Amino acid sequence: MEFFLQLVITGIMVGSIYALVALGWTLIYKSSGVLNLSMGELTLTGAYVSLTFYQWGLPFPIALLFTLIVGLVLGLVVERVFLRPLIGESVLTVIMVTVGISFFLRGALGFIWGTDTLVFTPPVFPSQPVQIGPIVIGQVYIWSFIAAIVLLLIFVGFFKYTRWGLAMQATADDEMAALSIGISAKFVYAMAWAIAFMAAGVGGALLGNINGVNVSVGHLGLLVLPAVVMGGLNSVPGAIVGGLIVGLLQNFAGGYLDNLTIAGISIIPGGAKEMFPFFAMTIALLFKPYGLFGWQRIERV
Amino acid sequence: MSTMRLPSGTYHENYTQDHAWWQTRFVWIRMIALFAILFIVFPYFAGGYELSVANRIGYTILCALGVQLLIGFAGQVTLGHIAFVAIGAYTSALFTLRVNEATPILKDLGLTYPISVILAMLVAGLWSMLFGLPSARVKGFYLIMTTMAAQFITVDFIITHYISRVGYRGVSFSLPPGTIRFGPWDIRTDLEQYFLMLILVILGILFVGNLMRTRIGRAWIAIRDNDIAAEVLGVNVVRYKLLAFFVAGALAGAAGSYANAVSFTVSPEQFGFGESLWLVGVVLIGGIGSNYGTVFGAIFLTLLTEMVQPTLKFILPDLALKTSYVKDMIFGLAIIVFLLLEPKGLAYRLQRLKDYVHLWPFSY
Repeated sequence: MEFFLQLVITGIMVGSIYALVALGWTLIYKSSGVLNLSMGELTLTGAYVSLTFYQWGLPFPIALLFTLIVGLVLGLVVERVFLRPLIGESVLTVIMVTVGISFFLRGALGFIWGTDTLVFTPPVFPSQPVQIGPIVIGQVYIWSFIAAIVLLLIFVGFFKYTRWGLAMQATADDEMAALSIGISAKFVYAMAWAIAFMAAGVGGALLGNINGVNVSVGHLGLLVLPAVVMGGLNSVPGAIVGGLIVGLLQNFAGGYLDNLTIAGISIIPGGAKEMFPFFAMTIALLFKPYGLFGWQRIERV
Repeated sequence: MSTMRLPSGTYHENYTQDHAWWQTRFVWIRMIALFAILFIVFPYFAGGYELSVANRIGYTILCALGVQLLIGFAGQVTLGHIAFVAIGAYTSALFTLRVNEATPILKDLGLTYPISVILAMLVAGLWSMLFGLPSARVKGFYLIMTTMAAQFITVDFIITHYISRVGYRGVSFSLPPGTIRFGPWDIRTDLEQYFLMLILVILGILFVGNLMRTRIGRAWIAIRDNDIAAEVLGVNVVRYKLLAFFVAGALAGAAGSYANAVSFTVSPEQFGFGESLWLVGVVLIGGIGSNYGTVFGAIFLTLLTEMVQPTLKFILPDLALKTSYVKDMIFGLAIIVFLLLEPKGLAYRLQRLKDYVHLWPFSY
C-alpha cells in the first residue's frame, strides 16, 4: 500500500510536468491545427538552456525566467519562418516540417552540448528527501510539482481572463468568426507557438532537475504525445488530465511491471516504463477513438 | 501507363500496347541504357566505397517502398515503419541461424536464406497488419500515434528486451559467412550484395508499380483521396487498409532480410525511431505518390548525408567528430527547405523539366 501511494504521488508530480508541456502542445493544435512532433526536442532545448544559464551563476528562478524568454523568441522565430508559409498545406507536410525542426534541434543540441549527461551543479533543490506519513519524496519532485502547478494556473488564467487569451480561445473555436470580429489569426498563431515553446522549456528545465540533462529528456518530452491523444487533441483539460495519466501509468509500469517475475520466470525483463504509455494509448484509442475529452468529428463527403 | 504523354504519331492499337510500361522506342533505349549502367558499367568501375553507398541507397529504397505505399498510395501516414524492417531482419536472422544448425541439408542446398526472406516478409506483414488494426477505427493524427506506438513497442520493448536476449547476444545475431546463400550463389562481397540489392529493388518497384494498376491499387487511391467517398462507392475500406499495411510490412520484411545480407549482424540500434522518420523524409523529398519519388529521395538524401563527412573534414577538420550531429541538422534542414520550397518533391520537378523539354521552344 505504501509502495502504491508512493507511486501515485511520484506519478502525479511527474505528470504535472507532462501536463504543462501537453498544454503547450494542445494550444498549438487548437489554435492553428498544427500537429507538433518536435515537442521532445523543445523540452530538451529548455533543459539545456536553463542549465547553461544556471551554470553561469544565475539563481534558478532567474535562469527559468531567461529560459522563458529564450522560448518566447525561439517560438516566434520558428512560427514566422517555418510554419506561417505552410498555412493551408496538408497535415503530413506540416507534421514533417516539425519533424525537420526536431532533427535540426537534436543535431544542434548534440553539436553544442555533446551527449554526456549534464547535471545542475550545485543541485537546485536540497537532496534531502521529505517524509510525509509513510511516503518518502525527493524535494526535487515537490518543487517541480509546485512550479508546474503555478505555471499551469498562470496559463489557464491567461486564457480565461486576458484579452489575448480570449482571442486565442475565439480563434480555436471558430477561426472565420474570430477573423470577422477583428482578431488577428497571425498574432494568435505566433502566441500559441511562443507559449508552447515556453511551456516546453520550463518542463525541460524541471525534468532536467530530476534526472540530469541528456537525450532521454527529449524522449520524456515525446511522452506528451500519448498524453494529448488520451486526453483528446483539442481539449485543454484533456491535456492536463492526459499528462497526469501518463505520469501515473509510467510510474505504475516502472514499479509493478519492470523486472516482473512470476514463479521464477522473468516475464518482463525491463523497458516497460518507457513503452507502457504508448501501449495504453493504442488500447485506449481502440475504445475511445477521440480520446477522453476530444471532439468527435462528423465527416461528410 | 495511359497518363503518359506520348509524342505525336504514336498510336495504340490494342490494350497490351496501351498497358505497356515502356511505350516508345526512346524509352526502350533509355531503359536499356539505364540497366546497362546499373548492371555492367557501374559495378565495373565502382570501388568498395561506391558500392557500399549504392547498397545503402538500395536498402533505403527497399524500406521506403512500403512507406510510399502507405503514405503516398493508401494515404495512411506511418511513423514507425522501421519496426517492421526490424521484425523482418530478426525473423530472417533467427530462422537462418536456427535452421542451418538443425538441418544441414537445407544449408547445403543454400535454400535457408531464400526461405527466410519469404518468412520474414510474411511475419513482418502480419505484424504490420496488427498495428494497422486501429486504422479501422481511427485516422489522421490518432493513427499516426498508433504507428509511432508500433515503433516503441516493437523495437524499444519487444526486440530490445526479449528477442535480443535469445541465446547469447552477439553470438545469436551475427551471421557467419556462408549463411547468406541463394542456392550456389554465396553473398559475401560488396559486389554480390550490390547485385542482390538491384534484383530486390527492381522486383519491389515492379511489384508496387503493377499493384497500383490493379483493382487493389485503385481502391487504395480512392481511400487516400477520400475514404468516406470510397466506402460509399463500395470499397471495403477496412480490408484494403489492412491489405496496404500487410503489403507495406512485407516489403519492409524483404528490406530487413536484405539488411542482414549487407551487415551480417542485427542489433536494435539499427532500427531507431529516427530511422522511421528518415524514411518518411525520403518519401516526402522524393515526391509523394510516385515510385520515382522513392528512388530519387533515397538517392538524394543518402548522397547528401554521405557528403557531410568529407566536406566537414575538408572545411572544418576539428569538427569531424561531430559528424553525426551535423548529419541530423542537415537532414532536418533538407526536409524543412524542401517542404517549404518544393512541396511536391523531386519527382514533380523532374516531370516539369520533362514537360519543358518536350514543349521547347514554345512553352504552351
